[in-house]
Amino acid sequence: MATSELSARSAGPDAVDDVRDLHDEVVALARDLPGGLRRLTVRDGDRAVEVEWATGPAEAPAAAVVPVAAVVPAPVAAGPAETEGTAVRSPLVGTFYTAPSPGADPFVRVGDEVEPGQTVGIVEAMKLMNPIVVDEAGVVADVLVGDAESVEYDQVLLVLRPAGGPR
Amino acid sequence: MIDRLLIANRGEIAVRVARACRELGIEVVAVHSTSDRDSAVVAMADEAVHIGPPAPRRSYLHVPNIVEAALRAGADAVHPGYGFLSEDPDFAEICAAEGLTFVGPPPAVMQQMGNKATARRLMAEAGLPLLPGVVEPVRTAEEGRAIADEIGYPVIVKAAAGGGGRGMTVVREPEDFDEAFTTTRAVARAVFRDPTVYVERFLSGARHVEVQVLCDAHGNGISLGERDCSLQRRHQKLLEEGPAGHLTPEQRTELGRLAVHGALSVGYTGAGTMEFLVDGTGAAYFMEMNARIQVEHPVTELLTGVDLVREQILVAAGRRLQLRQEDVVPRGAAIECRINAEDPTRGFAPAPGRLEVLHVPDGPWTRFDTGYRQGDTVSPDYDSLLGKLVVWAPDRDQAIRRMDRALAEMRVEGPGVHTTIALHRALLRDPDVVADRHDVQFLDRCLPAVLARAASLDAAAPGLPASRGGLQLVPTPTADPRPDRSTEGEIPCPPRPSLSTT
Repeated sequence: MATSELSARSAGPDAVDDVRDLHDEVVALARDLPGGLRRLTVRDGDRAVEVEWATGPAEAPAAAVVPVAAVVPAPVAAGPAETEGTAVRSPLVGTFYTAPSPGADPFVRVGDEVEPGQTVGIVEAMKLMNPIVVDEAGVVADVLVGDAESVEYDQVLLVLRPAGGPR
Repeated sequence: MIDRLLIANRGEIAVRVARACRELGIEVVAVHSTSDRDSAVVAMADEAVHIGPPAPRRSYLHVPNIVEAALRAGADAVHPGYGFLSEDPDFAEICAAEGLTFVGPPPAVMQQMGNKATARRLMAEAGLPLLPGVVEPVRTAEEGRAIADEIGYPVIVKAAAGGGGRGMTVVREPEDFDEAFTTTRAVARAVFRDPTVYVERFLSGARHVEVQVLCDAHGNGISLGERDCSLQRRHQKLLEEGPAGHLTPEQRTELGRLAVHGALSVGYTGAGTMEFLVDGTGAAYFMEMNARIQVEHPVTELLTGVDLVREQILVAAGRRLQLRQEDVVPRGAAIECRINAEDPTRGFAPAPGRLEVLHVPDGPWTRFDTGYRQGDTVSPDYDSLLGKLVVWAPDRDQAIRRMDRALAEMRVEGPGVHTTIALHRALLRDPDVVADRHDVQFLDRCLPAVLARAASLDAAAPGLPASRGGLQLVPTPTADPRPDRSTEGEIPCPPRPSLSTT
């Protein structure tokens, strides 16, 4: 079982249209999602869609995490403390996990090379697993947050330096 | 009991709640957006969590981040303040589901009161007087016109989900009805995402009187007296005062009784406000209920000596009300002026910026609630409330003089920053306001005259002229006893529409 979320849908012109739009989107989502679904929970308040997969025998739980578009590594602000590299920041408030499951190897270690689209950690919020994905290549220069530590919005999780640069 | 409380808000109300927590021995968790990272409440808090970028939708309205912040920081309660998520039943429900005590009414009650049409129906069932009109949503213009013909013009078309003074249109003639109906529905749909509207009689020349109530979770409720908020600009309150001097003691008691009865009949808990329109005879009509602490709550605090935010938190923690109705004895008169970072001469356009000078008034019975300090920047991302200046005095005349003195002490300066200070001083010099005979349309009708007076005051404005005669609670409405020194050269204000004042 794992969860994911859907980006906000556009507001329809009317309440009835909203429901219809939502319905269509949920149906489309259910079709598009890989694997056997067990449950789809739709909430309209903050427009979350929770997906619960049927626990397949072959699939490890953490492998079912679907990346979300919300994760955008921001360039490091020109602050005095961090002059080099790119900061990968938390897009939300939650708990940071360095590994896909307790006891497993971390997604990345200091010195690892990463490619665009690679998952470098997870931030869990409201029981949703949000993969932290980098959008540029580089080498992990530092991991600033420990496993299972709380993070706030915009907190720097790890720092990348350009690949091939001086160590 | 609550040990650690997260404040899901910003600005002056966040500071206000933090102060109540400090006095109760409750630890404070502040949440803040990127632009509020150095704000006053962050400095006061035991822990602060950065919840998002400046845009409210992604920070102070972003439920997952706020709830996560509460859970991460070990909070056991959430205070929503006013605005933002304070009247969002989903948020209250999610807090409850996560084991967080929400300082406010039960989500179901909040939902009912949030819909004006539902609230009207429930209060009608509880026996509260309503203006002639319909309780059910009106679906078509024909249906609405039939209702308007029946109750008589002028009527007002209101959005059921409306608030903050938006989504209301007054219709004076039948031929204007269709257009008003369509426009209001469009605004309601665009702003509140709910096109539902209803129609009721429009009362011209009325006063806005609201009753503060406090209810616990054990079926007890008390009224803490009323506030008069008739000085509004396009349905947005600017100056609030208490008590409503135009009501008789019997009318006040009855209004308080009705308010408590209405609140308890729907299972309301916590601090809430029942809003009424009062006509020239003192007859009151229920308008809506605000299921939260209100901006103007300090008026009641100064009149009663009751710390409303403290009581609100204790009641949310499950404690029985320790106050009985007979313990609540409003004394004297209190006035609150909303000091907004707005330019009244440019249609009250927001005028935010860096507060290079913020000199806050002080002195006897003078309170200033703010979330800003000198050097802070008023962000364009949030509402323009800079602070609330509140004074108390033994009677209304002294309270007006004290307020004018305090307003004169206040200095707010910064590039591009404008405030409503001079406007308030001009208002407190208006003969109708001084005589307490203004109505809810007064400011919309007389704004040019008030602005002209404010402009003439702007330089080195003197204090109010010396008092003539003894002090009275409600000055005689026959003639303005003051010399006309301060109102020289003013644009005459159009007379108020006829209204039976007996």
